[in-house]
Amino acid sequence: MRHRLEYLSATAVMSVVAAIALAGRGYLNSIDVAMVFLLGVVLVSSRYRSGPALLASVLSIVLFDFFFVPPYYRFTVNDSAYLLTFAMMLVIAVAMSRLTARIRDQAGSAAAREQRMATLLATSRELAGAADRNELAAMAERHLGHAAEGVAAIALADEEGGLRLPEHRLFKSKEVQEAAGWALAHGEAAGLGTGAFEELGMLILPLMSPLRPLGVVALTPSAGADGRVLEVLALQTGAALERLAMAERHEEARVAVAGERLRTALLSSLSHDLRTPLGTIEGAASTLAGEDATITPEVRRELLETILEQSRRMTRLVSNLLDMMRLETGALVVHRNWQPLEESLGVALLRLEQTLRDHPVDVRLADDLPLVSVDDVLLEQVFVNLLENAAKHSPPGTRVRVSAWPDGETTIVEVADEGPGIAAGEEEAVFRKFYRGEMSPGRSPSEGAGLGLAICRGIVSAHGGRIWVERGVSKGAAFRFSLPRTAAPPILDPESMETSVAEWP
Amino acid sequence: MAVTGPIVLLVEDEAEMRRALRPSLRAHGYQLIEAATGREGLAQAAGRNPDVILLDLGLPDGDGLDVVRELRLTTRTPIIVISARGQERDKVAALDLGADDYLTKPFGVVELQARIRVALRHGAGGPATPEPIFTAGGVRVDLERRQVYRDDVEIHLTPTEYRLLATLIRHRGRVLTHRQLLEAVWGPNYVEQTHYLRVYMGQLRHKLETDPARPRLLTTEPAVGYRLRDD
Repeated sequence: MRHRLEYLSATAVMSVVAAIALAGRGYLNSIDVAMVFLLGVVLVSSRYRSGPALLASVLSIVLFDFFFVPPYYRFTVNDSAYLLTFAMMLVIAVAMSRLTARIRDQAGSAAAREQRMATLLATSRELAGAADRNELAAMAERHLGHAAEGVAAIALADEEGGLRLPEHRLFKSKEVQEAAGWALAHGEAAGLGTGAFEELGMLILPLMSPLRPLGVVALTPSAGADGRVLEVLALQTGAALERLAMAERHEEARVAVAGERLRTALLSSLSHDLRTPLGTIEGAASTLAGEDATITPEVRRELLETILEQSRRMTRLVSNLLDMMRLETGALVVHRNWQPLEESLGVALLRLEQTLRDHPVDVRLADDLPLVSVDDVLLEQVFVNLLENAAKHSPPGTRVRVSAWPDGETTIVEVADEGPGIAAGEEEAVFRKFYRGEMSPGRSPSEGAGLGLAICRGIVSAHGGRIWVERGVSKGAAFRFSLPRTAAPPILDPESMETSVAEWP
Repeated sequence: MAVTGPIVLLVEDEAEMRRALRPSLRAHGYQLIEAATGREGLAQAAGRNPDVILLDLGLPDGDGLDVVRELRLTTRTPIIVISARGQERDKVAALDLGADDYLTKPFGVVELQARIRVALRHGAGGPATPEPIFTAGGVRVDLERRQVYRDDVEIHLTPTEYRLLATLIRHRGRVLTHRQLLEAVWGPNYVEQTHYLRVYMGQLRHKLETDPARPRLLTTEPAVGYRLRDD
């Protein structure tokens, strides 16, 4: 269609040229006329391809002969000298049309090259911004598909060197899968025009990184698609994949180092916490076992009490560690039950009677406190840890306040003391495990391993709630936690609860 | 003289643990029989007819729960199960299977002695009919007239509250599981409605305890049930 139009245009241009020459017949000699026709040929060949240009060349001679060579309006020639003129005109016309076409082609290919470069640059810039392999693959598929003027689908290599085939129609057939595996294994292209797997009707390119192919792309290129562009795009994709993989490895290494550092700190803190009571117990017990006659009953009692106290401390520490482990490994199972908050608090207060003997505890529970759906053992642990902290970090004789109130669908609980409080900026840090406030060198040996609040946070979040340090509610530290209602509470119908089917003697 | 004391059968696989308990039990006048496995324990229980059985739930030769089940087929001897921390579900299962009480490792000797005393009282040698008047911690309950007093002031209880209290008094000192209490007070169809029990327990505490937030008479055994303390 376009071709025929070009031939028509060439004919039209030459007709116009002939008309102009005819109009100027009185002023132009035959050499001028020949030049006008050659001008027409240049015009045509500068715009169209060689076919129409050749037509223009031939037309120029035919028209020149017909209109301007005597006898006029005939194709015969009287003067044989004109034949030489025609021949020279033809040679010049053809040569000129060739030259013009070449110049035009060069200009065109420069533009195309520029376009290609721009495309590749844009692609490489976009690929560099991909956050992960899947995003990268999607981007590369779009660009490759565009460049192929067809469809592109990428299959990435997995760790074992196999291919993770996507759910894509291009990868449906067994043959394609086989060719893709081959392309990945050999790092070579397969399919159309490659000499391998020609019958597929598509092109499979490996996504090469400097070290190894990281995947393959299957393409359905159109006839006009530029194979080199596709190759470069595949290379770019491979390089981008390699960059992502390297970034991942780097991040893994960084995390591993940070983890290693934490483990070391943890281990040294733990070994101190475990060794101290063990050493004390061993010392006291060996003194008693020595049956030294100089041990007075009073000393004996003291040693025994030390042993008892230190073994209790170790029990606490070990159970904290076990709790932490259960929380971190996900082995913690929450057995929820609807219950009044008061019950777990009561158990905790009873358990801590000794610890809290110097701290009067104010309990202020709102009258309209709803039942909460919690694991009683875990909630009790939260209370125990918070109350222990309060007792530990506030001077003897000061009060500890426990309050709870409903806030919409949530129950808020607060444990506040009158100690020095949490230092500004430490509000989050206190919940980190093995954190012990300002690491004062003279901390008393009765202090724990810095796990209490971390365990609280773990338990509260396992219940869907939050725990935080609340500022400005007390002179000392105030911890609040929320217990959101996660299910519809049971209906407490006094009548049905009072009705019993049990036989009563 | 110690030979005439009650017989305690200790079924425990850890030799260290047996060694630690031995002196204290003997010092309190109990005749001690020991077994290191469940099988051995069952044989001893059948052969020696102990007054109390202390059974570690974490036995190597199979489930301690199976031992409870088998023991209950042949004997009503009180069983106190010993469990590790975090074995709440096993503990409850053992109690629901007919064990009488439990101890969680690590436990003190005082606690152990108290449990054995309560078990012996409820065991075969205990009183056939409970005393009609119960008194503890400022609370007095007349079980014949169904009257309840706190500091000599009569307290009104709903029929269900009274049933709950009376059930606990009948098993005073012993732990009762949620299931056992629900079945006794509301009936077998209500054994899953633990919130009934928890709400009623709260009500009873508010009526009877001096400080309901720190109950001393009606105590909670976390994840297990309740105990009425009379010591």
